[in-house]
Amino acid sequence: MAKDTSLILMIFLPFIGSAMAAFFPSNARNAEAWLAGAVTVCGLVLASMCYPAIVAEGPVRAQIEWLPTLGLNFTLRMDGFAWLFAMLVSGIGFLVVLYARYYMSPEDPIPRFYAFFLAFMGAMLGIVLSGNLILLVVFWELTSIFSFLLIGYWYHNANARDGARMALTVTGIGGLCLLAGVLLIGHIVGSYDLDVVLASGDLIRSSDLYLPALILFLLGALTKSAQFPFHFWLPNAMAAPTPVSAYLHSATMVKAGVFLMARFWPVLAGTYEWFWIVGFAGMASLLLGAYFAIFQRDIKGLLAYSTISHLGLITLLLSLGSPLGLIAAIFHMTNHATFKASLFMAAGIIDHETGTRDMQRLGGLFRFMPFTATLAMVASAAMAGVPLLNGFLSKEMFFAEAIETHADSILDRVAPYVAVLASAFAVTYSIRFIHGVFFGKLPDDLPREPHEPPFLMRFPIQLLVLTCLVVGIVPGLTIGPFLHTAVTSVLGLATPEYSLAIWHGVTLPLLMSFLALLGGALLYLLLKNYLAHCEEGPPYFRQLKGQRIFERVMVAVSWRGARFLENRLGTRRLQPQLRLLVAVALIAAAWPLYHMSFGLAAFSWNLDDAVFSGLWAIGIFCAVGAAYQAKFHRLVALIFLGGAGLVTCTTFVWFSAPDLAVTQLLVEIVTTVLILLGLRWLPKRSEEFQTDAIRMAARLRRYRDLAIAVAAGGGMTLVAYAVMTRAAPPTIADYFLEKAYTEGGGRNVVNVILVDFRGFDTFGEITVLGIVALTVFSLFRRFRPAPDSVESPEQQRVQNATDEARPDRTAGETVSDYLLIPAVIMQWLFPVIIVLAAYLFFRGHDLPGGGFAAGVAMAAAFILQYLAAGTRWVEDRLRVLPLNWIGFGLLLAALVGMGSWLFGYPFLTSHSQYVELPLIGSIPVASAILFDLGVFSLVLGATVLMLIAFAHQSVRRLRASRIAAAEEETA
Amino acid sequence: MTPELYSSLSLALPELIIAGGALVLLMIGVYSGERANSTVTGLAVAILIGAGAWMLLFGGTGKAFGNVFVSDPFAVFMKVLMLIGSAVTLVMSVGFAKAEKFDKFEYPVLILLSTVGMMLMISANDMITLYLGLELQSLALYVVAAINRDSVRSTEAGLKYFVLGALSSGMLLYGISLVYGYTGHTGFDAIAATLSGADRQLGLVFGLVFVLAGVAFKISAVPFHMWTPDVYEGAPTPVTAFFASAPKMAAMALMVRITMTAFEPIAADWQQIVVFISIASMVLGSFAAIGQKNIKRLMAYSSIGHVGFALVGLAANTETGVRGVAIYMLIYLVMTLGTFAFILAMRRKDGNVEQISDLAGLSTTNPMMATILTILMFSLAGIPPLAGFWAKWYVFLAAINANLYALAIIGVLASVVGAYYYLRIIKIMWFDEPVGGFLPMAGELRLVLGASGAFVLFYVFFGGPVGRVAEAAAKTFF
Repeated sequence: MAKDTSLILMIFLPFIGSAMAAFFPSNARNAEAWLAGAVTVCGLVLASMCYPAIVAEGPVRAQIEWLPTLGLNFTLRMDGFAWLFAMLVSGIGFLVVLYARYYMSPEDPIPRFYAFFLAFMGAMLGIVLSGNLILLVVFWELTSIFSFLLIGYWYHNANARDGARMALTVTGIGGLCLLAGVLLIGHIVGSYDLDVVLASGDLIRSSDLYLPALILFLLGALTKSAQFPFHFWLPNAMAAPTPVSAYLHSATMVKAGVFLMARFWPVLAGTYEWFWIVGFAGMASLLLGAYFAIFQRDIKGLLAYSTISHLGLITLLLSLGSPLGLIAAIFHMTNHATFKASLFMAAGIIDHETGTRDMQRLGGLFRFMPFTATLAMVASAAMAGVPLLNGFLSKEMFFAEAIETHADSILDRVAPYVAVLASAFAVTYSIRFIHGVFFGKLPDDLPREPHEPPFLMRFPIQLLVLTCLVVGIVPGLTIGPFLHTAVTSVLGLATPEYSLAIWHGVTLPLLMSFLALLGGALLYLLLKNYLAHCEEGPPYFRQLKGQRIFERVMVAVSWRGARFLENRLGTRRLQPQLRLLVAVALIAAAWPLYHMSFGLAAFSWNLDDAVFSGLWAIGIFCAVGAAYQAKFHRLVALIFLGGAGLVTCTTFVWFSAPDLAVTQLLVEIVTTVLILLGLRWLPKRSEEFQTDAIRMAARLRRYRDLAIAVAAGGGMTLVAYAVMTRAAPPTIADYFLEKAYTEGGGRNVVNVILVDFRGFDTFGEITVLGIVALTVFSLFRRFRPAPDSVESPEQQRVQNATDEARPDRTAGETVSDYLLIPAVIMQWLFPVIIVLAAYLFFRGHDLPGGGFAAGVAMAAAFILQYLAAGTRWVEDRLRVLPLNWIGFGLLLAALVGMGSWLFGYPFLTSHSQYVELPLIGSIPVASAILFDLGVFSLVLGATVLMLIAFAHQSVRRLRASRIAAAEEETA
Repeated sequence: MTPELYSSLSLALPELIIAGGALVLLMIGVYSGERANSTVTGLAVAILIGAGAWMLLFGGTGKAFGNVFVSDPFAVFMKVLMLIGSAVTLVMSVGFAKAEKFDKFEYPVLILLSTVGMMLMISANDMITLYLGLELQSLALYVVAAINRDSVRSTEAGLKYFVLGALSSGMLLYGISLVYGYTGHTGFDAIAATLSGADRQLGLVFGLVFVLAGVAFKISAVPFHMWTPDVYEGAPTPVTAFFASAPKMAAMALMVRITMTAFEPIAADWQQIVVFISIASMVLGSFAAIGQKNIKRLMAYSSIGHVGFALVGLAANTETGVRGVAIYMLIYLVMTLGTFAFILAMRRKDGNVEQISDLAGLSTTNPMMATILTILMFSLAGIPPLAGFWAKWYVFLAAINANLYALAIIGVLASVVGAYYYLRIIKIMWFDEPVGGFLPMAGELRLVLGASGAFVLFYVFFGGPVGRVAEAAAKTFF
């Protein structure tokens, strides 16, 4: 089989197996085990087949096009180091599958276990074989996810849930940091290909981004390998089923971190920063892990802390930056995987057979399970570093490195002492494990009667322990060549001479080993009684629970902090939101101002403008007054608004724009009246708001809002002033002034724009006006005024009361004659205003006026009639059908517009000429005048429709009060 | 008709189809009353699909109506996303509307109108077109937010959105008038031409700030995000789904277009602004989401955060950056639609529920739903190899290539914090004691949820072609 196919198969087989495993029935224990076993064996076989090629030709590669636009390919690459790990992952995977077949109870949902397990294995192989940094990060995160799922396998157990979540949080976050680090490395190198990156060590180390990249990278690696200060998740992950612990948390996943550090050792190591960060983390983990392990009561807890300590040892070796250190590190990775996996399995057997893992409750098990006990003893001896076992060899190499000077500093100088001390601790906890579990007094309260496990359950341990022994005795013949391939694939030509022999003569490292063995044994003797009864956890450090700190930090940083921030910064109330928005706008505007000069034109005061300025002062006063009174007194506010409108109107006159002025004036009048009529039906201002006793806080809040408003307004003025004092670019106004007569045939620019240049816009606008009128009408149809505005006005009540009090008058007489003389005048004015409107309409083309103005003026006539005589009177005498007017106006405008199509011009092209009429004289007849008629009709109709909507409220009010009175009578 | 007008109209035909369709549907709705609700919804979806299909099959590229309207690969890409968002949310609303009694025929009509507005926004090549599109979209959205008139929360949401939206529109207009005041143009091309020649003036920077502020409100970027959680929570869930999908696409497209065309010559200025709002959005979105109990509110903060991430790509001001934004929006759209399909299916006998705690133990009661939501949450958190990871990857890559290291690293850290609250949902679903399952999902929701989950899961396999399409879209500006 081609080498690249086998690489790809190695990655995909576990995932395919995982998908298949998920669909097995839940009681298919054997089938699942066979499937998983077959997958692992396939992995082993495929990997071994590649070995000759690796030795002969170097790394084996495989590539699939993936995201070629990004230069991102699914690249796999297996060199000696990756091969070693691939063998470890597949081999121990196989043993764990075998073990799990007997360990998992029939009640457990087996498909889930094997599905996750195989997927995890695929991800782990992915990390090892990735030839692309991004791919590596992807698989890295996948291992975190599957580890999470496997730890949480027994999710009915609260410890498992917490442990799973913590493991995922820590390693997942580390993975994201690794991603950032990898992005930086890729940016420095310009490629994410592993080969390219590994060849650019000098480039990376000399880059400015080296330190941030290194820190992010190490955050990823150290969290995964549970190194100080991120070690706390590993002991909590022990809630996982024991096969998972054996596989993930001793042999493989936690090794991913040190694997990565070794992989990138040629490009990242050797600097002072690397030495300090990695060295400190490694040394702290080595020592603290070993110390904590002594005081665990749970066997798996002891093994977990021991794992932290051993990984710390590897990390420390990697930190040194010497090739020999790297060799020792790689060697120890394999050794630790073998003995620790077997110890976890042994712990699992003990748990399985006795029902407890508490070392204070266990004891004397040697009698019941001599075989298992012997195996565990040998494995523990390897862990403690006893000669003739593999742990001894790598520990010797570690000692030899520790006494060398690498980067002269305090860390380097204490290294030998720390090494010996930690090794002594290792001896102590190994003895404690063996002595506490297999010897001593036989417990009488074990949950189950202990006995030897089935042979096949013990078989994986046997095999692993045998490996420990063989490697420990004849390293050169067994692991030697493979280790050499692995080391040369990392170090390349820089591989130094090294020796794997057991005996180097009486050297300092040998002495240190014996010192550690002796010291450890003595320490155990001293602590023996204490350990038999002590609480869980080491003395003095017991209070300092990593888990609790983690939870506290999580709660404080995330939950509490988030709540705090949200309460402080977030709000659901509209007012603060608005305030914030305005404030942000202010700041945003002030920010460029701060950076650049504003360059305002000099302000000059011209005395000729004094009157005009005074006028505007009045206008501003009115506008501010309107805003201020809007909350307190609507009528006053409206009057102020009218004042401001009049000033605008006068301004138009001042600047010789009578057309604008007329339009403005008429609109002003009609809208004011309509609003006045509408105000009648709004509820009165609540009395409670009118009290003078406004609290100080509220007062201050108002002043703050005032300040913001003043600042925003001031800013607006400033910017507006700056824009207006610039040399104006040619504006559109010039164009219209120039072309109004020549092309539109009229001198009233506003009107010409409305009906000619912008005829289409006007058409749209009158449509909108019609819709608005309809909306107002339909809204008012459903409107029911507040009870207090349904009552008759005070004046009418007083007058009615007076009428009733006097014998010569009947109630309602005064009211009916209310404003009699003005009413007569208004009625008489009706035809006059009609004439005025006609006048405005016809002269509109050249002089101030036009269809819009005429329509508004005409509407004013109707308003007067309604005011003078009341709704009923008017509607009895007039056929008011505003809906028809609106419809007629729209139709006429549309038809006129379309008329131009007949002559082959675009929509709404106008034609104009003057026609001599008797009596009236020369009038302009543009086709636009018909259009203007449409505008007139619609404006009139819309205004009157709104008027009717208001007016009918009073009719309805009377009806409502009559009904109420009738109901009272019947009651 | 002149040939120029003809070509203009044919370029804008998808918009015209939808606008005309909306009017016809309005008539159908008015004259047939409540009976026609499902017909109107179905026709609305058909119109959206038809317009999208026409655009893809026959739509040309070019500028229309005197350069105020532009159709280019970027516009087509974003419009397709936006149309998908509109159509899918309409489909998802059917079951909910019936159950919660807000099946009004005005709803699909308003959605169509706002879709027209959004298409104009995406195709805007002039400040006036921009404003018209934005307002058409917003006005429809104001009404839609408050469409459930009997619910106090819904009306409050609509009112709040309206008031704040009006304020931001004001800012936008103010900015536009300043830009016009200093350049004398409203067309994007003309503005860019003026800017590249002249010295940068302060007033113009003001204009830029206000224009961006107005658009930032629409994409709910910090500090203009305040409305988002309230509106998301208050509006009926299908409306929230719509809010979270289509308008985000349109507003983001608009943001990209303004910065990449009109203000390209003053990139240094807007880059600072974009970097700031990007960081603020990522950080706030991540932190504020943690404390949420309501899943719609959570999604609101999540959307704020994701907008921040997408802006990371824009801040790079490069082709890869724009490609990143395009891909980010695509993936975000799919994830959002999937998540909202799930939220719409959070239904018990006594009505819909919205609390995160209601999800407890879902893995035992509805394992399939729980699995897909888990995939979506992992993807939203940006965990490889799911689609959400690639979205982040593209934008961070662009930022790093543009030497914006601080931005990229803050982004990664923010996504770390963000991951926490997504993981919390997963933990609640898988590890907490069950509180009772949901009713079976409606068919259409099942379809959306499944499709979204499959997309997210298998994105690694077809990420290449998608990337190429997005790259072609991004080439528009370079």
